[in-house]
Amino acid sequence: MGKTLSDKVLDAHALDDDEGATHRRVRIDALLGHDATTALIADAFEERNLKVWDTERVIFTNDHFSPPATAERADISNRFLAFARSCGVKHLMLDRGICHQLLVESPLCQPGGLIVGADSHTIMGGGVGACATGMGSTDILYALATGTTWMRWPQTIKVALVGSMPAQCSGRDLILSLLQQLGESGGQYRSLEFHDLTEPRLSQDDRFAVSNMAVELGGKFGVFVPDEVTAAYCEARDGVAPSAMVLPDADASYERVVTIDLSAMRPMVAKPWSPANVVEVAELEEVPITVAFLGSCSSGRLSDLREAADELRGFQIDPAVRFVVIPASVEIFKAALRAGYVESLTEAGAIFNHSSCGPCGGIDKGVLGATDVCVSTSNRNFRGRMGHWESQTYLASARTVARAARRGRLAPDLY
Amino acid sequence: MSNDEIIGRAWVFGDDLNTDVIHPPEFFSLHPDKVKKGLFHKLDPDLQSKLKPGDILVGGRNFGCGSSRETSMRSLLLNEVGAIVATSFARIFFRNATNNGLRCFTFEQSEDHLRIEPGERLTIVVAASKLRLESGEVIGLTPTGPFIQRIWTAGGLLQMPPFGPQP
Repeated sequence: MGKTLSDKVLDAHALDDDEGATHRRVRIDALLGHDATTALIADAFEERNLKVWDTERVIFTNDHFSPPATAERADISNRFLAFARSCGVKHLMLDRGICHQLLVESPLCQPGGLIVGADSHTIMGGGVGACATGMGSTDILYALATGTTWMRWPQTIKVALVGSMPAQCSGRDLILSLLQQLGESGGQYRSLEFHDLTEPRLSQDDRFAVSNMAVELGGKFGVFVPDEVTAAYCEARDGVAPSAMVLPDADASYERVVTIDLSAMRPMVAKPWSPANVVEVAELEEVPITVAFLGSCSSGRLSDLREAADELRGFQIDPAVRFVVIPASVEIFKAALRAGYVESLTEAGAIFNHSSCGPCGGIDKGVLGATDVCVSTSNRNFRGRMGHWESQTYLASARTVARAARRGRLAPDLY
Repeated sequence: MSNDEIIGRAWVFGDDLNTDVIHPPEFFSLHPDKVKKGLFHKLDPDLQSKLKPGDILVGGRNFGCGSSRETSMRSLLLNEVGAIVATSFARIFFRNATNNGLRCFTFEQSEDHLRIEPGERLTIVVAASKLRLESGEVIGLTPTGPFIQRIWTAGGLLQMPPFGPQP
């Protein structure tokens, strides 16, 4: 029986030859950390007099508190920055955007790579064919000091994408469809291996949106089989084509195969309070909204900003709506400025915050009060996550968020 | 450690209990008192103060899904939760718990979590992989493999080589 993509990547990184073991030690190619979760390990790392295994292979950025809104968060941020500087990490990216976006903007994120990060959405590196996964702070401390971690070899679910992406839909609608089908634990411990057989192929931004939320299915990896889209993205980013493209064997052994025909897909929305509580927009009851949020590592990329700008150019958002826009990185913000999207959205009534996690995790500016109803491009609508326990968040694509902002409501006839 | 018993009262939860509910992000902090206080705060502001050391959390499918923030784990440890028994665990949460020496067990029969009453006294017989209810009934738990047991026995990942005592 042949091997899946994650089998091959893990085999290539195994540090022992104990193929029968349930858990094995592997080396990693890169490590990602942000202010909130990395600050938690600073004392324990320093008390043990540890050293970073390879300072060239670490990306640290402050994205949860960027810039900090309270004195306590400023203290956490400063602890993180002092730690990052004292360990000599080469890629300390101060106020440059969300760590997951910075990872995929970095040559450290390569097809076939094995990457760990101190945040669950590290899985987004799978958008370029890397086996990337999130971990807690203790795991990250261990990996930062040793360049290794322990792993199980996951079962793989093959997700075959066929048909063509409808003009009104994006990667967000695709991953919400998959969440509707599989549920919050439908990919638990699994590697989700995406085979893009669509015509034309999915854009790189759509792939990032899909990989990002593979963790909402419980996935360990959410990896696209690398192809010409991957190669073109890496070459434009790195100046050279990827040195290797790890592919699954044609006769690989899959636990399950799920096929999604994109041609039949419609704009989707996840209702409170689960990312798997998904219906078609057309099936919604009408819901007045008070907040629209376009941002987070799940979206906030250039194509998301373009879709929103296309929807709102020359129009005004509903006066009852606060529309918060946060580009996922400063590079994306600059590109959006050059393309005129920032001006179109600002003229329509949107407000821009600095590239960061923003209100997604209920931490930074834009959080919700008890009576707020939000439609958001972020990845989790768990109860209380974006603010007050009574607030409500619906998850949707950038286009749906923009249309809802203009209409002042989510409605079955948005499309 | 593996031949001991864990005894505590049951706190019963459902499926897909996520880490934002376990520990709301507004309690994210480097200060232990604040982290400790935040446990389940939005779900039930009085729950944390009623927890007793050794109490056992019981859940359904996908316990601990969502964020990797280890403040959720720290809060469970600061509140001295004795163990967690669930139908299944989200992978990051399971790693975090194991790495910190908090023992997570899964039911052998997935529906068994419905047999546990809130507040009842539970006994986990670790070596036998059994859960004894207050009524004396015994429920099977999935045996934990040697790899995870080694981390438990060491007291967490940072007590393992190369950080902890060498073998």
